[in-house]
Amino acid sequence: MSRAPAPLDRRIALGLGVVTFVVLWTTERPVGFVRDESVYFYAAEQFSRWWALLFQRPAVALSDSVITQAFDFNHEHPMLMKSLFGWSHTLFHQMLHLVRPAAGFRLPAFAVAALIPAILHLWGSVLWSRRAGLFAALSFFVVPRQFFHAHLSAFDMPVAAMWLLVVYLFWRAEEDLRFAPWTGVAFGLALATKHNAFFLPLVLTPFGVLAAWRSASADGRQLLVRMGQVAVAFLALLALLLVVKGRSGLVQSWQVLSPQTFGVVALVVALSTVAFRLRRRDPAAFLRLAPLVAMGLIGPVIFYVHWPYLWHHPVERLAWYFDFHATHVHYAWTYFGNVLRAPPFPMGYVFVVTAMTLPVSLLLPMGVGLLRTGVRNLGDLVPALGRRFGRGGPTEWLLGVNALFSILLISHPEVPHFGGVKHWFPSMPFLALLAGREFDRAAAGLSSALSLTARRGTAVSIALGAIVLLPAFTLTVHVHPYGTSAYGELAGGIPGAASLGFQRQFWSNNVTGVLPWIDANSRTGARVWLHEVNGLSFRDYQRNDMLRKDVIPANGPEDADLAAVQYHQEFREQEILVWQAFGTWVPATGLYLDETPQVVVYRRSGR
Amino acid sequence: MVKRRLPRVNETAHRLRTAAPALAMVLVALLGLGFQLQLPRAFPSDADYREVAAALASAGAPGDVVFLHPWWTERARLFMPPDLPVVGYLGHTSDDLLEHPRIWVLSNERLPRTPEADFRRNFLPDRTPMGAPRQFGPLTLTPYRNGRARRVVLSAIDAFDRLQVSVEGPAGTPAQPCQRTGSRVQCPFDASVEVAWHEVLFQPVRCLFVLPPSAGRTLSLALPDAPAADALMLEAGITWEHAWVPDRAPVDLRLESPAGVLHLRVPAGHEGFVRSETPAAAAGSWTLRLSTANPHDRQLCLRLRALGGPP
Repeated sequence: MSRAPAPLDRRIALGLGVVTFVVLWTTERPVGFVRDESVYFYAAEQFSRWWALLFQRPAVALSDSVITQAFDFNHEHPMLMKSLFGWSHTLFHQMLHLVRPAAGFRLPAFAVAALIPAILHLWGSVLWSRRAGLFAALSFFVVPRQFFHAHLSAFDMPVAAMWLLVVYLFWRAEEDLRFAPWTGVAFGLALATKHNAFFLPLVLTPFGVLAAWRSASADGRQLLVRMGQVAVAFLALLALLLVVKGRSGLVQSWQVLSPQTFGVVALVVALSTVAFRLRRRDPAAFLRLAPLVAMGLIGPVIFYVHWPYLWHHPVERLAWYFDFHATHVHYAWTYFGNVLRAPPFPMGYVFVVTAMTLPVSLLLPMGVGLLRTGVRNLGDLVPALGRRFGRGGPTEWLLGVNALFSILLISHPEVPHFGGVKHWFPSMPFLALLAGREFDRAAAGLSSALSLTARRGTAVSIALGAIVLLPAFTLTVHVHPYGTSAYGELAGGIPGAASLGFQRQFWSNNVTGVLPWIDANSRTGARVWLHEVNGLSFRDYQRNDMLRKDVIPANGPEDADLAAVQYHQEFREQEILVWQAFGTWVPATGLYLDETPQVVVYRRSGR
Repeated sequence: MVKRRLPRVNETAHRLRTAAPALAMVLVALLGLGFQLQLPRAFPSDADYREVAAALASAGAPGDVVFLHPWWTERARLFMPPDLPVVGYLGHTSDDLLEHPRIWVLSNERLPRTPEADFRRNFLPDRTPMGAPRQFGPLTLTPYRNGRARRVVLSAIDAFDRLQVSVEGPAGTPAQPCQRTGSRVQCPFDASVEVAWHEVLFQPVRCLFVLPPSAGRTLSLALPDAPAADALMLEAGITWEHAWVPDRAPVDLRLESPAGVLHLRVPAGHEGFVRSETPAAAAGSWTLRLSTANPHDRQLCLRLRALGGPP
């Protein structure tokens, strides 16, 4: 079976991408600026100015001090998306005046998110059917939280898109060598999007190596063994350094001239040398390994080149970057009535929250799809299971591993658990793909049971798809633009989740629900405390005409006329301090989603 | 005859089996849709809340309190009479509400996953309905007699103006008096006392908010002319997230009164109030001393009340 999609499916994929982009654009206006987003807006503007300087005075722009000045802000994340945000804002807002400032920043996020349905259709249509591909593509974006996050100038949805792109291209490259360099490029872009991508080699290497081993000649296998020896030697060096220096010491002592640098350079050189020898001696085996080689050679180069902050101090700053994410702080998070503040976190957290936030009509095909994939993959290892349920094969393993990897990674009790579902987004497109297969099977079964003609079968499939997607669609429409508050039917919706003691919301964007009231009910020059909304977001609400420009940000309830408090279990003290400062426990208004308090507004008496 | 029917039965079973995944998907989707369609019926309108408020305004009495069930249905605050306390916080079913002889339970049992078991287990003991429930849309208003209520003879927050506050050093050194500045008593060694609203394990409490003194000193709060009481109840809790901070020292409290000496310790990492009671106390003076090795994040909410019998 060829892995290339049919021309019609390419056109459908393009259409899905375009429609996604347009839908995201037309629905972005009410979406609030999450805390991080305004930071990225600010960073993007700063980087745009550097790019302008680069064209005007390149020698100055490329100096260490100017690069540090321009890129030091928010250097905990790489530059690809922030650069795109900045360029888009400059072009579409500042130069062409086509869109408001926020939309100017967000357009690239829509474009990257639009890759997801397109790729899901391309992949699903080849693996199973056009029906499966379409369902997978549509089902991804009718999940309320995924729809919400796709609007943001942030990195969670882009890295999910990049992850999917890399794995898809890897899969294509295992059949067609022309895709190998593109896999490397996509991996570089993924690295340049968010640090999740550093786990991709861990996920994909076993697939590439096993496929190469299976198709290799005796000579080729010898070379593969040599590559394995090189990798083991590198791991041994790493283990030794870990023992001697400890985890933090390993990262913090990493410099240009250090055992760590030597190890990485030696690994890349040795593996590349053997890989190219494999290409000469065993092209069939090399074909399977080529995407990994491309990832290893092209990915890091793109990552380095795209981020000027690394140019003058690559090792030290990269070490800091790894250290920052390896030792990330834990934010409080409410789960079954407990405020989780520090590890160890509950093992079942990610599975439970995924189940509680997905619309139940999508949870079913996703869950069944994952189960089927698991059983079939086990069938590869246990012949009895294989005979009963069928066998998986490399593609099924690839889908299953990617559907579970990010979920399992975040499930580790020591990994930070804040951020709702966004940290395991890279798993979700694969779950959507598996749901597409289950839908395809169900629709085919229904057509067969009813002995329908092809045309009627298509009509029934469309009707079935509409019925299955409808609850998710209505849920998404109902909760938009407050996606961080969304819960599915299993939780009992938003009120059920409140009773169960789940996190009510996060990231402060729900404040948009009370901004019109504040605009209409505050005096000129009123001092307003928007709890959890940082100064940059406050500025962005004003410059995007979502909050009157004469309103002044207050530092806290004590110097405010109005206070809008975000309902978080860990921030109850903040609301009570407003009672204390304003002398009342009676709110003036609030954003209550399905009865649940989300943002509560108080007005100081007499103001 | 049997021979003729079997293939048809088999065929039907086969068709059903083949269509089962689609039917299951449709069923689940319809359940999901059904849930979404019926959910708005659980939401009270503004008019429902206004009717509740009117009912409470006409039937309410001093000392009443409104108890929200489930705890998070705080939209009610928008409508309730401003002088009527409304209690709704995570864990509130265990609150004795001892200053309130009558509790108006405002419940909404149509909401999904309403925590009924918690309500029955923690709220209902010692509470008896005082009248028939009244229905306002999906809301139910039921008055309860609070069997856990006690008469509060004196509360330290009401006697705040009479409190004599000082910081004591090691034995033999003279106590250093504190100064009243506005509504706060400011003391040496960064200590202070004021009456304020704060949170103790999600519970909003108006209490004596105490910043303990640094440098190993002890804060002393004395009330020279306290009345006789059936019991003195001392409660102390670290406010907000400071309670959780690990590896911190405990806070030690010592209450001297005509009833004797009462020791109380807020252990490290303890969230919520720690409570203790003395036996009956004659009229006389109370002196409360407290100290901790980690004063900066041991911000304390204190309640000291002289209690009588049931109201």
